[in-house]
Amino acid sequence: MSDWDPPSVPDPAAALEAQLLVFAKELGESYQRERARRLELERAYGDMRVAYLQTTRSLALVVEAKDAGTGAHLERCRNYGMALLNEMGVADENREAEFGFLLHDAGKVGIPERILNKPGPLSAAEWRVMRTHPVVGYQLVADIPFLRTAALVIRSHHEMFDGTGYPEGLKGEEIALAARAFSVVDAFDAMTADRPYRAALPPDQALAELIRMSGTQFDPGVVRVFAPLAERLLPPAA
Amino acid sequence: MTDPGDTDRCVLVVDDDAVLRRVVRAVLEADGFSVIEASDGEQGLKLAAEVHPGVVILDVMMPGMDGVEVCRRMDHTSTRVLMLTALGDVTTEVASMEAGARGFLTKPFSSMDLLDRVEELLKT
Repeated sequence: MSDWDPPSVPDPAAALEAQLLVFAKELGESYQRERARRLELERAYGDMRVAYLQTTRSLALVVEAKDAGTGAHLERCRNYGMALLNEMGVADENREAEFGFLLHDAGKVGIPERILNKPGPLSAAEWRVMRTHPVVGYQLVADIPFLRTAALVIRSHHEMFDGTGYPEGLKGEEIALAARAFSVVDAFDAMTADRPYRAALPPDQALAELIRMSGTQFDPGVVRVFAPLAERLLPPAA
Repeated sequence: MTDPGDTDRCVLVVDDDAVLRRVVRAVLEADGFSVIEASDGEQGLKLAAEVHPGVVILDVMMPGMDGVEVCRRMDHTSTRVLMLTALGDVTTEVASMEAGARGFLTKPFSSMDLLDRVEELLKT
């Protein structure tokens, strides 16, 4: 015989309803918490990406300064490059290409300044040294999983569409798309910016040059997308 | 012989209310437990003896054999009993403790409390 008497029985339907209400309320609260956490995570990710980009930019500027550059070229390459990838509809799968655009010449840390800034033409030996910079740059970031696309941009930004570039002599689609895109914007910016030894080309002439080199130096598909974009990107000629 | 590691993640829910059993089952299964159900005390004791679940969730208020009595007859060496009680029902809690229960959950309970309590019991 039990020495315990059950307490009076509450209405079971009411008890069940109370229980289900608790679960339902909990569901709503947990959804709210989840959403708040997601927003927080997205914000943190955004902040981190900005910080990462600033750090990358600082590193790239160090190299650019050694090469007597100002950083404006890097920033324009990044802008043009991202706009181009966007226009090509491949920006999402190539988001880290941005880091590659900034770091494309990072391998020049390994090139002596007397070669980088030599006023006259380079000797064959000096060229051999100069042409190591894509691979040196690639090795700098190759072990960073997050920078895989960026690493390909760095390694392949001197490849040519017809296979006559360096370091590997890759041809056509063997060259990563982001690298093919980059070589177009890099060349365009080089042509439309003033250099100590020549004035900037007007954008239409630079474009004509890109089109002329379509299929040899550049991917014709990329140039086709870039041509209408170039006019929008470049501020009207001063 | 059943693998004890397997049956530890098994929870037996003993409650005469079918809807409540289904809901508790859904919560537990969503967290990776396997669940068996009994609608009264006799069936609960039989299943517990056969399956040796890691935790038995036992409603106090059931027609026929009440939860405290079921708890008393349970083999506490292989399982831990978590009693479902009404809020503030201290006499039932004391009786359940004496009957070997390892914990209480007052109705209505949140699913988080349910899962936390079961998880805690499994660590003991």
